[in-house]
Amino acid sequence: MTGIVDAQRLVKTFGRVRALDGLDLFVQEGEVHGFLGPNGAGKSTTIRVLLGLLRPGGGSVSVVGLDPWRDAVEVHREIGYVPGEVALWPNLSGGEVIDLLTSLRGGADRGLRAELLRDFDLDPRRRARAYSKGNRQKVALVAAFARRARLYILDEPTSGLDPLMESVFRRQIERVRAEGATVLLSSHILSEVEQLCDRITIVRAGVAVETGTLAAMRHLTRTSFRVQTAATAERIADLPGVHDVRRESELLTFDVDTECLAPVLREVALSGVTGLSVAPPSLEDLFLRHYGDSGRPRSRTRV
Amino acid sequence: MWRLLWADARRDRRQLLIWLVGIALVVAGSAGAVSSEFSSEQARAGLLAVALATPSLLALRGLPNGSGLGALIFFQIFAFVAVVVGLLNTFLATRHGRADEERGRRELVAAAPLRRTAPVTATLIHGTVLNAVVAAVAAGALIVNGLDAVGAAVTGLAVGVTGFVCLGFGLLVNQLTPTSRAANGIGAAFVGSAYAARAAGDALGSPDLANLSLRSAWPSWISPIGWGEQTLAFSDNRLWPLLPGLGLGAATAAAALLVQSRRDIGASLLPERRGPAASGALRGNLALSWRLQWPSLVGWVVAGALLGLLTGGLATAVADATLGNPQITDVLQSLAPGGGGDITGIFIAALIGLVVILAAAAGMQGVLRLRDEEEEGHAELVLATAVRRSTWLLDAVIVAVVSVLLVLAAVGLTASLSFLLNGDRSHARAAVSQAAAGVPAALVFVGLVALLVTVLPRFAVAFGWGLFGVAVAIGLLGALLRLPAAVRNLSPFSHVPTVPIESWTSTLLLLALTVALTALAVVAVRRRELVI
Ligand SMILES: Nc1ncnc2c1ncn2[C@@H]1O[C@H](COP(=O)(O)OP(=O)(O)OP(=O)(O)O)[C@@H](O)[C@H]1O
Ligand SMILES: [Mg+2]
Repeated sequence: MTGIVDAQRLVKTFGRVRALDGLDLFVQEGEVHGFLGPNGAGKSTTIRVLLGLLRPGGGSVSVVGLDPWRDAVEVHREIGYVPGEVALWPNLSGGEVIDLLTSLRGGADRGLRAELLRDFDLDPRRRARAYSKGNRQKVALVAAFARRARLYILDEPTSGLDPLMESVFRRQIERVRAEGATVLLSSHILSEVEQLCDRITIVRAGVAVETGTLAAMRHLTRTSFRVQTAATAERIADLPGVHDVRRESELLTFDVDTECLAPVLREVALSGVTGLSVAPPSLEDLFLRHYGDSGRPRSRTRV
Repeated sequence: MWRLLWADARRDRRQLLIWLVGIALVVAGSAGAVSSEFSSEQARAGLLAVALATPSLLALRGLPNGSGLGALIFFQIFAFVAVVVGLLNTFLATRHGRADEERGRRELVAAAPLRRTAPVTATLIHGTVLNAVVAAVAAGALIVNGLDAVGAAVTGLAVGVTGFVCLGFGLLVNQLTPTSRAANGIGAAFVGSAYAARAAGDALGSPDLANLSLRSAWPSWISPIGWGEQTLAFSDNRLWPLLPGLGLGAATAAAALLVQSRRDIGASLLPERRGPAASGALRGNLALSWRLQWPSLVGWVVAGALLGLLTGGLATAVADATLGNPQITDVLQSLAPGGGGDITGIFIAALIGLVVILAAAAGMQGVLRLRDEEEEGHAELVLATAVRRSTWLLDAVIVAVVSVLLVLAAVGLTASLSFLLNGDRSHARAAVSQAAAGVPAALVFVGLVALLVTVLPRFAVAFGWGLFGVAVAIGLLGALLRLPAAVRNLSPFSHVPTVPIESWTSTLLLLALTVALTALAVVAVRRRELVI
């Protein structure tokens, strides 16, 4: 199995900061891959390595089957990129920036460019200095999408966009997915990731801590229970896979690992339950668990 | 606000220390050299007699005010030091003004519970204190050479007040221009025209041969550097000519505060025009490099052209004044190292030598812009496309080389034109050749910064301009300071031959050096990553 992006055990240090510490990332051709992690986890650094803008201190990378450091130009011909921090030339107009950047990749698709300008509601004649943050972001998005690419690498592409524009952005992702392109999307917005991504990778402190489909990841999370009962909590608390048991007068709350649900349900049924609510595992819990963990990440899981 | 001032000062401390040490060395060095070279009254009187008879020499140097030792030193170095201190101030105003605003740092400060004018006030105090220190350093450097303390103090004050005018002007310009580049350009043009106005005023002045002094013509009196000269330090020690400078500095600073208190953040008084909806000619990386360079290049080319026009006019005056005076020839020859040929030829070489410095600066700017591009995040956009790292560098080098050629072509052609108008065909040809002879020395700096940007990106700007400053100081003051030949030879500006060229060695060496530096840079940039 070959991926369009295949990075293994990437290491990158800046002086004494270890930004990437053995990171693995695998993206299959044709998928939309979410790339998540807390601030400073190493997402942008990874992306710059994938583009050959930074040279990895260790590990191996291949992008569209090539080494991005050695064959940067050939790799870039296949890529549309939106950087994490969009900085435009203040004196150029939006239209000029879009044409300049697409011309450097071989020229824009005129029809696509016009359509994108219309959909994103962007005035191409304003000077970049005069654009709002969201409008600068749109310029970068139009420049990336106005020429068809095999791989789109988007570093927090919706930062600064209003909800309406976010939906325009999602339509573009659906379009390029339908056209068979691959997208690597770094993001902090869970709903966006949930809607768009086929698979995700979560990084923390320069290491990929989870990677897989969302459905598979849900299994890793816990279901939370709120049970109205007069019975004591001990029997439930003693069961395997039960965590964070708390009691407030009649209300008993606890979380259960997905694979240990059956015995817990049996015990709840026997406990004289008078009210019950069960919340499914939420992505947010999953992320918060990874984002919030203190210390080094635990062993890596591959799903 | 005091915290802000403190933060500004901390940010600048290394850079300012270098400027201060440089100023101290130049002042103390020239004072020492002049003292030992012209220790006798007679030698000084001889030099001044020549200078007074040579308008072009007055234009390049300054205002003679008697044959005292201190007065001679003041004549030799004041204008040069004033230009350096002037640039120091306009750059400082931009660094803490438009540049901060452009990069969004100002917004963080502006949101703090401070008066809207606090950043400008902080820079005003910062710059004023700096000028006081510069004044003290300049005065001190003269006093340790055993010169009269009153004259030294007046010299220091003149330098400090000139700096203050440029500070006020710089603060105001930063309120009006949309970009920091424009602010720096207008600031440098202000300092340059202050120098040029007094050059004209001194060249056209009426000499008083009995007192070995000069009454400047009116252009000196509209120049802040001219006002400093008019203190006639060490002879008359007048302070009143500094009053217009204090007034102008205070007025422009007050205007800057006023504009700042009424202006929106990020706004400039120059209106924003709408741009094109699509890029016409702006396709490809070379076009981008050119687009980023040409606005500032216009300024360099105009400056070169004006100096060229001046060359023809002044050269005729030199030739008239110097017919059969060997002393003048000696002095002029010390200004155009390696000079041979006739007196007008040497003068052409001296003036075009100044433009070679401008051309080098224009070229350096073209390459050093890569560093700005990288820091501001633009390089990331470009290098993520199908542009090779080596292309990215070489396109900037090409634009820089073109800049050097254009600036020198401007001076060569206008100087040549000004000779043709006088019917002097041979010097018209000489002017063009002389401008061409300066090309290699300017190109070396392009190669140098190409390598610096590649291998020492974080220090490239400081190192590049630092080395340039040293090379300019050695080139312009090396002869005056009696620096050893080995040191003078280090500056490319010492290797501009005077036409007719007898030896091509230095020309070929400089060209080879440029090619070698650029080739090294290209090899190194292939293995260089983005440095943000
Ligand atoms: N040029 C650099 N020099 C020094 N350290 C750097 C540099 N670039 C990144 N780092 C460090 O590397 C780590 C990873 O940074 P990176 O920008 O990749 O994070 P990120 O995951 O993109 O974060 P965010 O979500 O905030 O964008 C951080 O600790 C950062 O401080
Ligand atoms: Mg990032």
